[in-house]
Amino acid sequence: MANEDVQKTLAELSRDLHESKARLEEAQRVASVGHWEWDLETDVVVWSDETYRIFGLSPRGRPMDLATVRSMVHPEDREPLYQGVDQDLVAGERPKAEFRIVRPSGEVRTVSSLTSERWNSSPGDAKRDASGRPYKLFGTIQDITERKRTEEALQEISRKLQESNARLEEAQRIANVGHYSWNLIENRVIWSDEVYRIYGLDPQQGPIDLAKVSEMIHPEDRELVFRAAEEALQSELPADIEHRLVRPDGEVRTIHSVGTVKRDTSGRPYEMFGTAQDITDRKRSEKALKQSQFYLSEGQRLAHMGSWAFNDSGHYWSDELYKIYGLDPQNGAPTIEQYLALIHPQDRASMAETIKRMQEEHCGFDQIERIVRPDGQLRYIRAVAVPVIEQGVFKGFIGTTMDVTEQELLMQELRREQAYLAEAQSLAHIGSWATNFYTKQMFHLSDETFRLHGFDPKDRIPLERFFDTIHPEDAATVTAAINQAMNSRTDFDIREYRVCHPDGTIRFVRAIGHHNRSGEMGYYVGITMDITERKKAEQEREKLRQLEADLAHINRVNTMGELAAALAHEIKQPIAAAVANAGACLGFLEGQRPDILEAREAASGTIGSARRAAEIIDHVRSLFKKSFPQREPVEVNELIREVALLLHNDIRRNSVAVHLELAENLPEVAGDRVQLEQVLMNLMLNAIEAMRDAGGDLTITSQQTDDGHLVISVSDTGFGVPANKIDQIFDTFFTTKPQGTGMGLAISRSIVESHGGRLWATSDSGRGATFRFTLPHEGLMGT
Amino acid sequence: MSTLSSPIVFIVDDDEDMRLSMQRVLKTVGLRAELFATPLDFLQRNIPDAPSCLVLDVRLPGMGGLEVQHKLIEAGINIPIIFITAHGDIPMTVKAMKSGAVEFLTKPFRHQELLDAIQQALQRDQLSRRHRNEIAELQERYKGLTARERKVMDLVVSGMQTKQIAAILGTSEITAAVHRGHVMHKMRAGSPAELGSMAERLKLSANR
Repeated sequence: MANEDVQKTLAELSRDLHESKARLEEAQRVASVGHWEWDLETDVVVWSDETYRIFGLSPRGRPMDLATVRSMVHPEDREPLYQGVDQDLVAGERPKAEFRIVRPSGEVRTVSSLTSERWNSSPGDAKRDASGRPYKLFGTIQDITERKRTEEALQEISRKLQESNARLEEAQRIANVGHYSWNLIENRVIWSDEVYRIYGLDPQQGPIDLAKVSEMIHPEDRELVFRAAEEALQSELPADIEHRLVRPDGEVRTIHSVGTVKRDTSGRPYEMFGTAQDITDRKRSEKALKQSQFYLSEGQRLAHMGSWAFNDSGHYWSDELYKIYGLDPQNGAPTIEQYLALIHPQDRASMAETIKRMQEEHCGFDQIERIVRPDGQLRYIRAVAVPVIEQGVFKGFIGTTMDVTEQELLMQELRREQAYLAEAQSLAHIGSWATNFYTKQMFHLSDETFRLHGFDPKDRIPLERFFDTIHPEDAATVTAAINQAMNSRTDFDIREYRVCHPDGTIRFVRAIGHHNRSGEMGYYVGITMDITERKKAEQEREKLRQLEADLAHINRVNTMGELAAALAHEIKQPIAAAVANAGACLGFLEGQRPDILEAREAASGTIGSARRAAEIIDHVRSLFKKSFPQREPVEVNELIREVALLLHNDIRRNSVAVHLELAENLPEVAGDRVQLEQVLMNLMLNAIEAMRDAGGDLTITSQQTDDGHLVISVSDTGFGVPANKIDQIFDTFFTTKPQGTGMGLAISRSIVESHGGRLWATSDSGRGATFRFTLPHEGLMGT
Repeated sequence: MSTLSSPIVFIVDDDEDMRLSMQRVLKTVGLRAELFATPLDFLQRNIPDAPSCLVLDVRLPGMGGLEVQHKLIEAGINIPIIFITAHGDIPMTVKAMKSGAVEFLTKPFRHQELLDAIQQALQRDQLSRRHRNEIAELQERYKGLTARERKVMDLVVSGMQTKQIAAILGTSEITAAVHRGHVMHKMRAGSPAELGSMAERLKLSANR
C-alpha cells in the first residue's frame, strides 16, 4: 500500500512535474525565454525547447555541445561575449550579455542571456561542488530581437521628433515666429527659443514669469494685451493682436500674437497656447509700400502726370490720368474711339494714325497733342507709350501722360518772345551769345550772331571758326582783350574790329562781354553788334569833315590835280593859238610873194595869244594871293595837334605811330592859320605816305631856337629821299608819287617863305626823312 | 564833167583866238575857211557841193566834238573831220578815228601839221565826191534803158553770148544783137567787161 501510495504519489508528483515543466515550457515560449544547463564536468549542454527555437533549431533534435553553441554566436560578438562571461565569472558576478546569433537559416537574432553558477551544497542559483567550485552553469536566454527593433524604432521616432522640433524652432526663428504656452493653473509660462529672441533675451536665461512679460510689453499696449487675453479666456475665440514690446536694449518691435485657450473636459481653461511673430520688418515695409504708393499718386497729382497700362488682362488708368482727361474713374478707362473723341479735331487724325501704328508695329511714341475735355477745356498733353516686351514676347504697352498745358503755353510765349528778340536783333544787327572762352563751350548763339559772322544759323559752327573770321590785323588785339578780361575776371568791350565773311565781305563789329563773377572762369554773356553802317556813317561824316577841311585847305591831291588840269587847258588854248599864228606868220613870209600885211597881222595875233596866256597865269596866281593877307596869332602846338587829329584815320590805316614832342610855352606866331595847317598837313601826309606799306613812327617836334625862331620838324621812318633828289623835291611838278601833282612841297615852301620862314629837308636814304620849317614868332614879325 | 568849186574848210572852236589863228594858217595856202563858235551854228549850215572838211575841237560848249561827229554820220553827211584837243587821251582818239576821223591833233600843233591834215581830208573828200558823181551818172544812164535792154544787160553781165540771149528772150539772134548794141551805147561801155564793172558799181550803190 505504501508502495502503492508511493507509486501513486510518485505518479502524481511526476504528473505535477510534467505539468509544471510544460507550464514552464509554455511560459518560456510565450516570453521567448529559453534556459540551458552546462555541466562543467561532463561538458554536456542541455537546452530547453525554447532555447532550441531561439537558435532556429528543432527542440531536442540533437544534443548540444559547446562548439556548436560557439559556432552559432555571431562572429563579431563571439570574442566579446566569452571574454565578458569569463571576466564576470572571475569577478564573481553573474554574467549578463546581449549578443547576436545566427540561425542555420542565416537569420540574425539578438538575444539576451543571464548566466548563473550552480553548487551542489546550496539549492541557490549557482551549482558548486563541495570544493566550492561550480560544477554547473545555468542560464537563460531570451530572444530580444523584436524588443530591440521596437527600441530602435522608438529611438528613431524620438530622434525624428527632436529633429522636427529643431526644424520647427529653426523655421520659427527664420519666420520670427515663436510659440509659448501659459499654464493657467500654475500660472507658468514656457517660451520657445524664438520667443526669447523676439524679446531680445537669451534662450538660456531660464523661465520667464508673467510679471516680466508684462514689464516688457510696450506700456501703451499692455492693457490691450491683457484685455485680449481676458477676452479669449471668456470666449471661444482666439486672442489675435498686434502689440509692441520694448527689448532690454530699448529697441521697440511689433509683435503679432495669436493665442488659443485649451480647456479640460469640464470646459475649464487650463492652458493658453499661442504663437508670437515679430512683424516689425513687415510692418515697416508695408508702411514703406504705402508711403511709396502715396508718393506715386501724389507725384502724379503734382506732376499732372497719369500712367496707364494696356495688356491682355485689360486697360488700366491711374486716377490722375482720369483727372487729366476730365473723366470719371467710375466709368472705367475709355475705349480707343472714346479716347480719340477727346483729342482736338486737328490732332485727331494723327493720333489715330499713331495708335494704329502702335498696335500694328508694337512701337512706342512720344508726342504732344491737344485734347478737349468733356467740359470744353483745351489742354496740351504729352503722351508717351512704351511697348512691354518680356523675353522677346510682346506683352502690351505702358505709358505716361502729362498735362503740359502750362509748359506748352509758356513755350509758345517763349517762342514768340524769341521771335521778337530775333527780329529785334536782326533789325538792330545785334547778336547775343553766351560762351565759355576757356573751355570753348557755346551755350547760346542767336541767329543774328551767326549772320554777323557770315554763317548760316542752321549750321553747327565751333567757337574757333568764329574767331577765324576776325580780320588778321585785328585778331591779335581781340584775342588779347578777351584773354586779359578772362584772366582778370572782368568785362570787356572791344569797340571796333573787323570780321571777314566767307563771301569776302568785311564788316565792322563791336563786342561786349559780361563776366559773371560767381560763374566759372571764361564764362561770358554778351553781344556782338554790327557797326559797319554806323562806321560808314562816321566815315562819311569824317569824309565830309575832311572834305570841308580839304576845301578850306585847297585839297591837296584832287583839287590840285584838277586845278592843274584846268590850268593846263586854259593856258594851252592861247599857246596853241600863238603857235598857229606864228606858223601862219611864217607861212605868209615864205614863198615867192610874201604877204607882209598878213604876216604882220599873224605876228600881232601871236603876241595877243601869248599875252592872254600870261594873263591867265596872273589870274591863277591872284587866286592864290587872295587868301594870303590873313594874319592872326597862331599857337603852333595847338595847330600840330589839330592836324594830327585831322589825320588820325590816315595814321591808323597805315599803322603809323605818332609821337608829339612839343616844347611848352612857345610864343605865338602871326600867320595864316589855314595856310600853316596846310603846310603841316602836306608834310605829315608825305611822311605817312612814305611809310604806307611798312608802318613806322611819325615824330613831330616843336621848339624855339636861340635866335627866337620856332622850328617845327616832321620826321618819318619811311623810304627817305635819295641824296641827289633832295634839292629837287621842292621844285614845282617834281613828284615821286604816282598821283602826286608835284605842287605840295612847292606850295608849302612858298607859304612858309611868305611867313618869313624857311622849309628844308634832310634824309638818309632808306632811313626816313625829316622836314623842318622855321617861323618867326609874333615879336619878330615886324623885323 | 563835174565842175568842182573851190574847196572850203569849216572850223568849229569856242576859242576865238584859236579860230582866227587857224583861219590865218589856211590863208597862207589860199584855203577858204568858215568859222563857227558852236557846233550848233555849224550843223545849221548847209554843206555846199564843194570839196570840204571839218576842223573840230573836242571840248566844246553844249556838245562835245565826238557827239557832233556822231550826229553828222547819223544825218548821212559825209565830211572828213580833223579833231583838235588841248589834252586828248587814247580811248577818245581811238573812238574818233574808228568813226572815220582823218586826224587827231593835240594843241599846240605846228601849222604844217594842220595843213597836211587838211590837204589829206580834202583829197579824201574830193575822191568820195567823184565816186559819188560817177555812180550818179551811171544811174542816170541806166535809167535810160528800156526794160528789155536792162534784161539784156543782166544777161550780158552774166557772161552770155548773143545766141544764148536770143534763146532766152525767144527772139532772133539779130534782134538780140541790136538790143545788146543799144545797151553798150547807152551805158557808154566799151566792152562787156566794162559793162560788168558798171553793173557791179550800180549794184553796190543800190545796196547802200
